[in-house]
Amino acid sequence: MSIFIDQNTSVCVQGITGSEGSFWTKHMMDLGTRVVCGVTPGKEGQTVHGVPVYHSIRNALKNHDIDATMLFVPPKLTKDAVFEALDAHIKKIVTIADGIPLHDMIAIRQRALSEDAFVVGGNTSGVISPKLAMMGSFPHWIERVYKKGNIGVMTRSGSLTNEVTAMIVEAGYGVSSLIGVGGDPVPGARFAEFLPLFQMDPQTDAVVIIGELGGTMEEEVAESIQNGVFNKPLVAFLGGRTAPKGQKMGHAGAIITGGKGSVEHKIEALTRVGALVAQRPRQVGILLTELGVRKS
Amino acid sequence: MKLYEYQAKQVFREFDIPVPVSMLITSIKQLPEAIQTVSFPCVIKSQVLSGGRGKRGLIAFVRTPEEAAKEVERLFGHELHIRSLLIEQAVTIKNELYASITFDPVAGTALLLVSLSGGVDIETLAIDEPEKIIKEAIDMRSGLMPHQARHVAYQLGLSDSTTKQIIALLLRMYQLFVQYDAELVEINPLFVNDKDVCIAGDGKLMIDDNSMFRQKRFEPGKADYRTEAEFEASQEGIPFIQFDGDIGLMCAGAGLTTTVYDLIHYEGGSVANYLEFGGPNYKKAVKAMEICLKVPSKVILIVTFGTIARADVMAEGIVEAIQKLKPDRPIVTCIRGTNEIEAVTILKNAGLEPLFDTEEAVRKACRLAKEVAL
Repeated sequence: MSIFIDQNTSVCVQGITGSEGSFWTKHMMDLGTRVVCGVTPGKEGQTVHGVPVYHSIRNALKNHDIDATMLFVPPKLTKDAVFEALDAHIKKIVTIADGIPLHDMIAIRQRALSEDAFVVGGNTSGVISPKLAMMGSFPHWIERVYKKGNIGVMTRSGSLTNEVTAMIVEAGYGVSSLIGVGGDPVPGARFAEFLPLFQMDPQTDAVVIIGELGGTMEEEVAESIQNGVFNKPLVAFLGGRTAPKGQKMGHAGAIITGGKGSVEHKIEALTRVGALVAQRPRQVGILLTELGVRKS
Repeated sequence: MKLYEYQAKQVFREFDIPVPVSMLITSIKQLPEAIQTVSFPCVIKSQVLSGGRGKRGLIAFVRTPEEAAKEVERLFGHELHIRSLLIEQAVTIKNELYASITFDPVAGTALLLVSLSGGVDIETLAIDEPEKIIKEAIDMRSGLMPHQARHVAYQLGLSDSTTKQIIALLLRMYQLFVQYDAELVEINPLFVNDKDVCIAGDGKLMIDDNSMFRQKRFEPGKADYRTEAEFEASQEGIPFIQFDGDIGLMCAGAGLTTTVYDLIHYEGGSVANYLEFGGPNYKKAVKAMEICLKVPSKVILIVTFGTIARADVMAEGIVEAIQKLKPDRPIVTCIRGTNEIEAVTILKNAGLEPLFDTEEAVRKACRLAKEVAL
């Protein structure tokens, strides 16, 4: 089992003929992802790694069922591509683009909410369930980073995710499913929205969230625990504890304004509901052991 | 990107949002002309991007040419290197309101905030007296509807004429928010003067960085950067911030760089600069190191854990940078990710001692920084 995606999910790749799209489609398929079709306007009739390409999602739907779509589309064109997928009633969309305009993301978030769809990203590596399937760009072949196991992971970051998952593996664990919601101020989907899925997933015994300063996503996770939506063990690692106030350092979403979004506030909210917060990436694995999470 | 008050007010003028009569000066020589335009009493406002200007003595109220000259001289001589001052006509204040438009990331809407208690820090007000802030969600598909602006404005209980002005002003603020891809449009305080006229006392306008490609008007110039290195990095598209500590960072990924920044502080070290050369910049090791070397630091710490940003390519780049630039300070490397084994070999062959653990690399960099200091 896994969440969001598995080996039976029929995936479309928008922007499949581009160099990044083609490169990661190959890796997605190597891992076991069922890529059924691709879309690049003007390229219908071509194939990429044996996958047929169409001008539009509507054309692709004539020949394929699509459960989820993966976008390798530049930031300026992302809103159009996401809306194309939503118009086709696709409910799982992943966009890795870094630099999507804020107002475009507000529009995407609003539509996703009103149509009960998950838009994961932008500014993310995507979604992976090790040994099963992935939508995005993860070095899944590095065993010391993406070993299969029983820990669900949610993250706002990319490279830092590799750093933390390596520590989870070092401590004797592995990853069940990993969701990268991304580092933008308005992500298409938020941490708390995946907690019910991790709660239901028998493969997941505990969840690790990799957060950072700014926004309220970590506080929303604490709220879900408080409300009983999620009751498995949870460990958080939060970057930016010593970041200077008012300075945009790193992700656009990582900024403290007027005391709101500080790491202290997030730690307080999470520890109040029984979650543990690691000070260093290495502590994540140690805290999972402290919580008595079974090793794989 | 945050604009200066005078820039925000220029945009306000274009949208018919009333602002006081004013003139921007960059030298004391322009003061007589400014006084003639503005007349007394007037306010001298330092054009800096940080907040709390009043408390920090960066705003002065003056009634005579002598007072004005004294304050202008003081502010131009200020340690903050203030480059320009806004000389603005003083307003006879009847009410001080607050109005802003920003966004709600949870709901996926724009958000209008209005309060009768302006002139204070809105975040503090939101915590202490949230009932004093009127909030209205704006569906960006339909935009701010006049009925919403009316509903908000009438709750303030002001005179009929003032209310009508506020309705018009809120609608224009929203137009501006959309047209300029704003993260925030804020007027705090929004004055109502003794003649019941609404005037923007201050102006804050933040433009979304991701939208700069369609907002060319606000593209920053060289003068907008604090240092030569920050300007150069911006031209390369390399995220960079200069601090005044000991360890120069050359890392990949925003989250990882921020975490390394934390780990250095836990070890009692300090950071000379934040620099990210991951993502699309992973082949720019030479340029990245060149920028790092422009900043005074005692050691350079390189930490990466890339996927697309291949470790072997980054390692080759670093070796090339060291050969070309011959850095005058020690380099600590911790390069992992795609093709990490090859990366270690490349670094070792070049005579470096590559580390593989972030915390160990941070400890080594902190130790070296201290040794150099002695």
